[in-house]
Amino acid sequence: MFTQLIITGISIGSLYALMALAMSIIYKTSHTPNFAQGEMAMISTFVAFALQTTYQFPLGIALLGALLFSLILGVVIEFCFLRRAKNPTIVDLIVMTIGIQLIIQGIAGWKWGAEQKDFPFLDLDSQLVHFGDVVISHLNILTIGTSLVLMLLLYLFFQHTRMGTAMRATQQNEVAAKINGIRVNRIKAFTWGISSFVGAVAGLFFAPISTLDPYLMWEPLIKGFAAAVLGGMTSLGGAVLGGYLLGIIENLFGAYISLEFKSTVAFVIIVLVLWFRPSGLFAKHYQRKV
Amino acid sequence: MLNKSLKVLMVLAFLLLAGCGGGSEDGGSSEVGVTDTEVVIGSWGPQTGPAAPWGAVVRGMECYFAMVNEEGGIAGRKIRFVNRDDGYQPARTRAVVKEMVESEGVFAFCGGIGTAPGMAVKSYLVENGVPWVGPNTGATHFAYPPEKNIFAGQTPYVDEGSILSQYAVTDLGKQKIAILYQNDDYGKGGVAGAILELQQHDMTLVEKASVELTDSDLSSHALRLKNAGADAVLIFTTPKHAAIILGESAKIGFQPTWLTSLTLADMDLMHTITKGLWKDVIFANFIPMPTSDDPLVQKYKAAQQKHYPEERWSILYMNGFTTAELIAEGIRRCGKDLTREKLIENLENLQDYTVDFQDVRNKYTYGKDNRQGSRSVYLLKCIDGTQFEKLTDFVESDIDINAAIEMMKSGI
Repeated sequence: MFTQLIITGISIGSLYALMALAMSIIYKTSHTPNFAQGEMAMISTFVAFALQTTYQFPLGIALLGALLFSLILGVVIEFCFLRRAKNPTIVDLIVMTIGIQLIIQGIAGWKWGAEQKDFPFLDLDSQLVHFGDVVISHLNILTIGTSLVLMLLLYLFFQHTRMGTAMRATQQNEVAAKINGIRVNRIKAFTWGISSFVGAVAGLFFAPISTLDPYLMWEPLIKGFAAAVLGGMTSLGGAVLGGYLLGIIENLFGAYISLEFKSTVAFVIIVLVLWFRPSGLFAKHYQRKV
Repeated sequence: MLNKSLKVLMVLAFLLLAGCGGGSEDGGSSEVGVTDTEVVIGSWGPQTGPAAPWGAVVRGMECYFAMVNEEGGIAGRKIRFVNRDDGYQPARTRAVVKEMVESEGVFAFCGGIGTAPGMAVKSYLVENGVPWVGPNTGATHFAYPPEKNIFAGQTPYVDEGSILSQYAVTDLGKQKIAILYQNDDYGKGGVAGAILELQQHDMTLVEKASVELTDSDLSSHALRLKNAGADAVLIFTTPKHAAIILGESAKIGFQPTWLTSLTLADMDLMHTITKGLWKDVIFANFIPMPTSDDPLVQKYKAAQQKHYPEERWSILYMNGFTTAELIAEGIRRCGKDLTREKLIENLENLQDYTVDFQDVRNKYTYGKDNRQGSRSVYLLKCIDGTQFEKLTDFVESDIDINAAIEMMKSGI
């Protein structure tokens, strides 16, 4: 049972990790805790659903369409909402993302209704691989694999491309980045696009094990946020590790200690981390040099 | 010129006053929300937000009253049905119910979705003596202790818990019963009913796995149920959680007999969102299935297709019809002389009243100290999305409901 719990913990943890990653990417460059992240992922998943069931496109096209949609959605939200705010405080930004969250939820509810839908993303969750007593579904393997690959690509992107370097520069000092010719606004819009894309991947993998409705990403968002805080908000690797850790801790806690408080563990972790290591378990503290 | 129109106005005002006076003298319109041609019925339910699927019940009521009005109304009065979206938020329920009573002049309420929203308006409706017939919840708060103006219709969750466990033990010979329950009055009602029933068989629940409304990963729940060795598992959760637990359990090779509350009787939906895993699930119900060929069900369905063709003909939607039947019967029995007092009296006198379905006939009985109309459900088994097998007739729960309420109070 223990090994099984670790495996399922890693599997759900990789979804938390993707959400945490998506939140950290935005937080890193624009210092915005994006509470609309879950809904952006949810509506992208609905787009895949609509493409496949309503418009009868093959699965591959539906998935690509949804991912493309998520990229554009991220850019559009940054361009139309965030950029318009004049010298926003952190509270303004939070309120804006909550507003966006409600708008998207409203649109999804209006367009597709609140009734649960089956997301027909192959039937991978019922195809199983057995290792002795331990069972893992094809979908779990695919989720874990995809999230690892995606994380690696993002790491390479941030560390070894000009765009990635520009993003890191924007995060560390916006004014200096501007002076050096980096088009900060464009970078930020692109960051929102990438982040939305990562979230959409999480949504697409999560919908088949849950049911598709406008509240699909409610829990993954909160857990992703907890994982990001655990990992230190600005550290991508930290966010990922935070996600895996949270998935495993939660599962063990639920099975051995209490199911009733399983969901609460995430919040206890947030409080403890903020108490003892406010910058997160894995974040490096950037000291601003005068 | 001005003087003349003033005179006309005065004459009109006088006539109007006289008209009103005359009306109250012959008793036709002395009651709130009742005139000789109209009676105002109110309801509420979520049309937006996470609980919005339940809102179909209220829209079903709307369709039922449209059907009744088309047939000429009741005792010459058309029903004006007012309903509000409360988003399943108790604070909003309070506001919209107050508004409906005070500005719309609602005569009585029909249905009303959910336990928490209902609790938010219970004392207000009791204080104001507004009749409230058939709250759409199986919580025991509305009939125990009985309130003069509240008539509960839906079978309590505790009774469902009892009937389902009894069936699992005596009819299916199951030895180890477990439950997956939502951590609120709904789920805990199921737990209390199951525990009390199992006590009569010298048994106890082998596992109680609680689900929070916001949970979406139930893999550790599935493992715990499997580890307890359960051969039958009761489900008292939302459709979403029921779908997730069936998926997770299938994955780890855990295949007990599943038995569910009537809140999961939307077989069509469940079969779809579980990708067919709903096959063989046993579920409680208290109204006919919407796909049945019962003539009255067909009549309801025809009304839906005529008045609201864009709606899905589902069990929730049809539940709106059956909820409205109860208050309509009360109003019918009052005849011309419709007052709140008379409505309450007529409902109180209902004995073994059944809606006119062919073979699914739930009996409602009220009395001076009894405000719970029925404590029975019948059981069905899902064959596939549309096909079902009727397993039992209506079974009445035999547990002491007050003991169940005590148990819930002291904590499950």
